[in-house]
Amino acid sequence: MAKPVLMFDSLSCCEGCGLQVLNCETDLLPILEKADIGRFREASDGDVDHYNVAFVEGSIVTPHDIERIQEIRAKTDLLVALGACATHGGVNFLKNFQDPDDVAKYVYGDKRAWFPHVAARPLKAEVRVDAEIPGCPINPREFLEAATCLLTGKPFKLPNYPVCVPCKLADNVCLWHKGAACLGVVTRAGCDPYLCPSAGHKCIGCRGLVDKPNTQAAKDVMAEFGLTVDDILREFRLFQGIYKEVAQEA
Amino acid sequence: MLPQVLKKGDLGAWIEALGKTWKVAAPVLKETSVSDRTDAKFGWEWVVDPAEVRLDYTVTVLGPKKFLWPSRQTVLAYALAGEPNPQAVIEHEPQVLLGVHPCDITAIATLDAAFGKDVPDPHYLARRKDTAIVGLDCAAPCDESCFCLDMGSLHPESGYDIMLTPHRDRYFVEVKTDLGQQLLAGARLQPATKQDMQGRQAFTEEQRGNFHYQLPCEVKYLPEILDASYDSLVWEAIARRCFSCGSCNTVCPTCYCWDVADQIAVDLTKGCRVRRYDSCQLDPFAEVAGGENFRKDRSSRLRHRMFRKGKYILEQTGRAGCVGCGRCERACIAGISIKETFVQIAGSR
Repeated sequence: MAKPVLMFDSLSCCEGCGLQVLNCETDLLPILEKADIGRFREASDGDVDHYNVAFVEGSIVTPHDIERIQEIRAKTDLLVALGACATHGGVNFLKNFQDPDDVAKYVYGDKRAWFPHVAARPLKAEVRVDAEIPGCPINPREFLEAATCLLTGKPFKLPNYPVCVPCKLADNVCLWHKGAACLGVVTRAGCDPYLCPSAGHKCIGCRGLVDKPNTQAAKDVMAEFGLTVDDILREFRLFQGIYKEVAQEA
Repeated sequence: MLPQVLKKGDLGAWIEALGKTWKVAAPVLKETSVSDRTDAKFGWEWVVDPAEVRLDYTVTVLGPKKFLWPSRQTVLAYALAGEPNPQAVIEHEPQVLLGVHPCDITAIATLDAAFGKDVPDPHYLARRKDTAIVGLDCAAPCDESCFCLDMGSLHPESGYDIMLTPHRDRYFVEVKTDLGQQLLAGARLQPATKQDMQGRQAFTEEQRGNFHYQLPCEVKYLPEILDASYDSLVWEAIARRCFSCGSCNTVCPTCYCWDVADQIAVDLTKGCRVRRYDSCQLDPFAEVAGGENFRKDRSSRLRHRMFRKGKYILEQTGRAGCVGCGRCERACIAGISIKETFVQIAGSR
């Protein structure tokens, strides 16, 4: 059987998820024995006509991004969205809460007409996505697990529980008890062992909401802890503005 | 064996001596609040330096359960290339849990009963058999969340090898088992004097004065009270605030549910089967093949936990599933309290 052909590409993003893939270092070698790389924007030149699996990071913020993701979709059997930008719009989604022209002016000044842009959106807004690996950046262990699942035909499933589970197992003192509005209570787990709360920083929700989050309880509790509606929205919108539970009301 | 005492100043030397034969785990200071240095947070860790051991500790996020029942455990290893050759992985080494509060001693006894019944669990039981427990009695409740007296866990009759009772500059040392006797081989013990005996009595009186019943009924009535509350609106009311974050289960010293997953090495030549803590509060807990979920509502999951703690485990093992340690209440940022819930349903019949 011919080796499967993988590709890695980047739309509008910092390309940090591609770096996380490269950060797997020696763990990539067994995968490279079993698969060929057709294209890897962050690592090398070249391209091929057909891929079996395309891993795409970045969100869609320009008409060119839309064309590019449609091209990739047409050339690949499977499409995997890599990282918060590709799965939820990432921090790029923040611009959707601001005036589009103000945003363009801030970045491109009087040359803004040269750079057409659209509202930020994840890959699944334009094309069919077969699997998602969330996070900003992705957890390299989760990438390796997805790769192993693809090579063995095992189903790949994201954890459907919040960050509180691995955080408690790490024996962390809850950041809420230290006055931080940690979003771990409604954010999908899977980042461990690289847990922000283990390093003393509150969870900012980069992996998106867990399925069926009790956002109302989150908002109530945040209000009890003294946060205003604006504070709460700001916390959630950094990475989770795409969800109707977050965007609608506080 | 006659009662003896150990001076607090001699504790470090004893731990040092224990460390030659056993791996020793004990409470240590994890951190203090920046704004209030008296707000100390403790945790159970392997002892590196005996001077770090803090037997004046109060509460910990996780209990000593993690040394008997790790949150992630490989139970089976196998090959994928050629013959699978599956091998059970049963890991254990001689360990001492030093300074276990009565609630956690009782919780370990509950785990013993749970893992010992039906098909005994070799992974847990092997570790348990290789574990010595040095108890540490409590003169006062750790905080307002604990209600160990109500749950009958303040005075465990067994489940420990030694019990230390702190009094002034010394520990009153009671040996419960032969293993306990062995543990003390390297300790600078002194025979208990008349004053020590009086100190021991003073401790009991102090303890009696500090602990008060908080539930309106005895534990033995909880199953009946819970039964009567099955269709109560109280579950939905409490669940409105529940995140289903699983923190209550994750920190519980008696929770023993687990999930099993296969992990394949990246070179695809071998794999292992890993089990890890699961939580009945999480949405997928009662999900089965085909997508049916037997407890898809938050309120039904919350009720299930309360029933496990106050009824089911009690009926199955003869020991209540809750020891009143208060960890779940402390871990819940929404402030859902098992004690308050029991009080509420007992009062609303």
